[in-house]
This record gives sequence, C-alpha cells and structure tokens, in this order.
Amino acid sequence: MSLEAFARSGELSLGVELELQIVNSHDHDLAPAAADLMRLMKGRRIPGEVKPEITRSMIEMSTGICSHHAQALSELREIRDALVDSADQLDVRLCGGGTHPFQHWPQQRIFEAPRFHELSALYGYLSKQFTVFGQHVHIGCPSADEALVLLHGISRYIPHLIALAASSPFVQGEDTGFHSARLNSVFAFPLSGNAPFVTTWQDFETYFEKMRRTGVVKSMKDFYWDIRPKPEFGTIEVRVLDTPLTVEKAAALAAYIQCLARWIRVEKPFQLDRDDYLPYTYNRFQACRFGLDGTYVDPGSGEHRVLRDEVLASFERVGWHAAELQAEAGLQLLRREVQGDGNDAAWLREVEAREHLLPEVVRQASQRWHGKTP
Amino acid sequence: MSPDGFMATRWLAILAHPPEALFVITAMLVAGALAGEFIARTTRLPRLVGYTAAGCVAAAVGLGAPQPLSGAARVLVDLAMALLLFEIGSRVHLRWLRRNPGLLATSLAEALLGALAVAAALLALDQSPATAATCAILAMPASAAVAGRVALELGAEGQVTQRMALLTAMNTLYAVLALSVLRLWWVTGQEPHVLAALTVLAQSFFGSLLLAAVLAGAVALAARRLDLRDENAVLLLLGLVVLAVMAARWLQLSTLLVPLLAGLLLRNTTERPWVWPRHFGTAGGVLVLMLFIIVGASWSPQVLVAGGIAALALVAARGLGKAAAVLVLSRWSRCSLRQGLALSITLTPLSATALVMLSDLMQAAPQLAGTAAPIVLTSIALLELVGPIAVQLALRFAGEVGDSPRRRRQES
Repeated sequence: MSLEAFARSGELSLGVELELQIVNSHDHDLAPAAADLMRLMKGRRIPGEVKPEITRSMIEMSTGICSHHAQALSELREIRDALVDSADQLDVRLCGGGTHPFQHWPQQRIFEAPRFHELSALYGYLSKQFTVFGQHVHIGCPSADEALVLLHGISRYIPHLIALAASSPFVQGEDTGFHSARLNSVFAFPLSGNAPFVTTWQDFETYFEKMRRTGVVKSMKDFYWDIRPKPEFGTIEVRVLDTPLTVEKAAALAAYIQCLARWIRVEKPFQLDRDDYLPYTYNRFQACRFGLDGTYVDPGSGEHRVLRDEVLASFERVGWHAAELQAEAGLQLLRREVQGDGNDAAWLREVEAREHLLPEVVRQASQRWHGKTP
Repeated sequence: MSPDGFMATRWLAILAHPPEALFVITAMLVAGALAGEFIARTTRLPRLVGYTAAGCVAAAVGLGAPQPLSGAARVLVDLAMALLLFEIGSRVHLRWLRRNPGLLATSLAEALLGALAVAAALLALDQSPATAATCAILAMPASAAVAGRVALELGAEGQVTQRMALLTAMNTLYAVLALSVLRLWWVTGQEPHVLAALTVLAQSFFGSLLLAAVLAGAVALAARRLDLRDENAVLLLLGLVVLAVMAARWLQLSTLLVPLLAGLLLRNTTERPWVWPRHFGTAGGVLVLMLFIIVGASWSPQVLVAGGIAALALVAARGLGKAAAVLVLSRWSRCSLRQGLALSITLTPLSATALVMLSDLMQAAPQLAGTAAPIVLTSIALLELVGPIAVQLALRFAGEVGDSPRRRRQES
C-alpha cells in the first residue's frame, strides 16, 4: 500500500481521541468489558465515535471535527456521559490516566479482531504491555507541505505537552518516579520518536517509499512517532499526551495545541532547523521524568530553563491567538494547574500518599472521569 | 453442640477422640488436595472437582457425612460458607440493581421461576405440597461455593462472572428468607400463635442484620488500619468472620445470613475498595477444600434410591426455570444471548448452601424436612460433579477465561 494523498481539511480544525481505561467496581483493576460497552453504545446518538482498542479493557472515544475549544468540550462531555451511563448498567467504571496503576500485563486479553491479533503476534508481550492510554489531537492543515512545517514547529513544544498531560506515575503497582511512564512503553516500539526532518510532502513520499521498500512499514499506522501526519484526514496528529483524568483537561490540552498551531502558522516565530532535534530526546526525557520541574533546553539558544516557567511563558506567547480561537477558558484551566497543584501525575501521587491503597486511587480518579469530584 | 448431637455418627465419634479425629480429617485433606492436583494436572477441570470426588469416594466406602450435618463437619461447612458468602456479598453493588432494572427483574424471576418449576414438577410427581414447597425453596440458591471457586481458579472476569456473583448472592438471600417464612407457616399451621412466630422471625432477621453490621464495622475498621492484602493481616479478618459465625450459632441466627449480610453491608455502605486475598488466602483455602469434600461425602446409596426420579425432576425443572427467566430477560438486562445462556448455566450447581439450609430445617422441623431431604440430597449428589464442570464450560463459552488458567492473582 503506497502513501495515500493528503486530504483537504479545515485549517486549524480540531479533533480529539481519548483511550480510556475500563475498570471493575470491586478492586478497580482493569475489566475486560470493551465488547459489552460497544454493544450498549450501539444505537446511541453521540457526536463522535466510540471504538474498541487492542486489549479488552480499553475503549477509544473521539470527537467529530470541531472548530474550537467549547465545541470539543461539549462533544467530549456528551460522549463521556453516554459511556458512563452504559458503564453503569454493566457495573464497570471508566477512568482516565496514562497507565493503570496496578494492572498486570500478562492478564490483559486481546480484543477479538484480526488486526489486533496480528499486532499481538508481531509484538508479543509488548502489545499487552502497551496497555497504556493516550490522548491524540488532530489539527487540520490546508496542505500537505504546510502540515509537515507545522509538525516540526510543534515538535519544539512536545516537552511542554508531555509535562502538562502526564498522568502515569504508577506502573504494575509501583511508583516509577516518572510523571509519564506511559511514554517509556511507547519508546519500546521500533519507529517511535520523531518524524524525519523533511518539510515537503514530496520528500516525505520519497522517505515513505524507501521505508516501504525495505518492508519495514506497510502504512502510516506502523509509525509510532510523537507527531505524525495523517494524510487520510488532512491533519497532523499529536500523540504524546497521556489521557488526562477529566474531559475538561483533555479539551484544554487540545485547545493549547490549536493555539500553538495558529501562533506558528500566523507569526512564523522561528526558522525550522534539523538541529532543533539535537536536544529533543533530552527534553522529552526531562518532561517524562520530572514533569513541570524538568529542565528544558531551548533548541535555538541552548539556554536551560525550568519547564514550568517555559510552559507559562508559552501561554503568554499564544495569548492573542487564544482570544482569536476562543480558547482562553482552556488555557486558564492549564495555567491554574501549572501554578497550583501541578499535573494529574502529581494529583495521583498525592491521593496515593493519603490513602496508601492504589485501588482507592483508581476509584477517586474514575470519579473525576465520571464528572464527580471525589 | 446441636440437639441431635447424640446421633452415633462417625463425625461425632471422631470429635470424641481428638487424635483419631485429627488423623481422619488430615487424611481427608491430603486425599482431597491430591485428587485436586491430579484433576488439575491431567484435565482442564477445576481442582474442586477433585476435592468433591475425594468426598464421593469417602461416602462410597461408608465415611459419608452425617445428615443433618453435625459436629466437626457442620463447623467446617459453616466456617467455609461464611468466608465464601461474606466475600460474595462484599463484591455485590446493590446500586447495580437500581441502575439496571432488567437485572433486578432477572434476579427476582430466576429465583421465583426456578422455585415454581420445581414445585410444579414435584406436585406432578404426587409429592405433598409441603414437600414440594420445601424442595422449591431449598433449590432456589445457586452455589456460592462453586461459583466463587471456579471463577477464582480460572481467573474468570467479565459480565457473566460478575452477574453470577450478584444473582447467587441475591438468590441465597431470598432462599434463606423464604425458608424462614416456610418454617413460620409450618409452625403456625400446627399451632395458632401467628404473632409469636412473627416475632421470632423478626428477631432472627434483625438479629442477623445487627450482628452483620457489627462484623462489617469491625472489618472496615481493621481494613483501614492494616493492609489486608497481606496474608498475615488477613488472618485477623478470618478470625472476625469466624467469631461472628460462632456468635450466630450461639444466638441461633442463620449462619448463612449473617456473613452474607455483613459482606453486603460492607460493600454498600462504604465506597473504599476492600481488597483481601480471594477466599482469605491459604487458611480460607483449606476450609473451602474441606467444604467440597464434605459436600461430596453427603450422599449414600440409600439416599440416592429414595431421592430417585423426584430428584431428577427437581434438577431438570430448576435448570429450565432459571434458564428461561435469564434468557427471556437477557436483552432487558443488557447482556447478549450468548452471555445469557452462559449465565443460566452458571446458576445450575446446587451445593453447600442448600445442604446447610436442609440441615437447619432437619433440626428445626424434622417432619417438614423428612420427605424433602432425600430429594434434595440426591439432587446435590447429581450436580456436585456436573455443576462445576458446567460452570467452567459456561465461563469459557462466554469468553471470560484468560489465556493462562494459573494466572497470578490480582491482589498483590
């Protein structure tokens, strides 16, 4: 299969996908109820879509094409409410968070679908260990070339996004010390990391064709890059976010990305350079490990800054665009978190320190996902 | 310990001679454990089939458990059932019944329809109305022991497993209450002291509720201070449940109702997840093993002959009644037809719950229990090996059994 043509999409249009945990109501371990939830969701009218994921304890929800923050938020809420109502009838709960804090991967079961079984056969335990939950944000691009330019521009803000969204401190019952341990699972896959530095679609097609000839990839789906073009939708897809603990946060993160995209497109604030990627993995690691307290190396000046300050500064930079995109409420939510209690990983650690029981941490997190304050 | 403690049974004789008692009990334990391992190694069946088979063999060579259960056998069964019922209760959210009215309807319908079918079948076979009613109520509960143990061994998870626990907890509750009403009716039918009898009933129910609340409170208190996932801390939990059951026996309250209500209260009055090793770890596992041996040993050739056709009719009518209710309501209760079919099969086993209820009835109202006893005991014997195998097949059929049957437990 060769690379498909880059579809047309509304410039700066927005789409949000969220991978969710399905947990039982007893000890809040992952529950294999995806097929049941899918059955109950059939026939319900929702704005976006609900799909199964690779293991039976995951489900993915996605909005339709939205133009701004408020629309994305209202769609997310509507789908969330429908899912929660279905889950209630099955006595299971839904939960955000990039990892399940104490699930054991050997217990995960692969969802009954040929593609998932093929992936499972190829990646073995990785596919089960890949029981991690992310948020993907699509940004519409007017053309394929502009999509690649935007992709490399937003790459500078990957650490910001990781630190803001991080919600996976616990894995297999242990505190990993990381804010986003989920991304460590993603790195294990071949073809993860950053997309090659090409800025025209023609060059990208050449690259893809070479990769395809090696037999390493068949389609864009085989790339697990942090940001990848999605020709089918005419978008770029940001994939580094952990699924947050609330739909409000998910909408806010999407709005922040939309603001960054507009700022980069309209103001063209920096020149793209292959060397931008020199500190990339270092910055990414710092954000995963230390969250907002991590160090950020500016790819342009080489200056070292605390990520928290750098994130707050970026809110100022895109302020005007937030007003234009009606995204201020979203940025306000993020600003409050950065200046207040920190990201979702910090919240999860705080609950664990208070309760000393990971099932109780999951219960309180799922309360937040369900739209109730625990 | 019990009014008929003078029965010259082997078990009591064993109790009177402690060293011999210990030897026989330990020998049974070893035999059961060996049979369980043998079954697990050579077949894909759950170990409890082996435990039960060991009991069956014991009964065949004349080491059957006395009926009504008494002495050490009764104590072991009470303790094991208490653990299983407390646990099953503690996993049931009554809120689920409110959020899913189809499920509430399923619960009421399967209990009622199963009982009515049994009563109708026995009446058709010219049994007396009293016998038919007694058998109908004793056949109402599904087996908490089989359901809990098979699900645990297979690591089963999913809607069928979850609904099996819910329906089992509920029909056990209905059955114990219905049996009290039947006893009341029986007593007042003979002596016209309705009010006095009602008072006795209310006393026993609210007494059970009160004792259950004390147990639930104590467990919640312990769980907040100790990590119950630890095998040592769980011994305290085990001790609390055992203490409550002993108190229940002493106060002549239902040893089934108290732990079940305590589990339900614990789950439904607090939000915090309570996690402890399934079946209270190794200590509870030993009790559960003994339970299956004793249930397996609860038959004799004479009983089988006496039960005969009536028992076959009971088993068939019960299965059909329960299955019809579950299947008809499966759509409304939001499960697929396949899941409904699997669920109705998981309700088939008739086991220790019925045995304990029968024992209580044999002691409290011997005439009422007299004709029902062989029918119920034969039914239990018919289902004790088939039941667990059917549950296993049903859970596999529903796709709720993981890849590895000996998966690690989740509580760590």
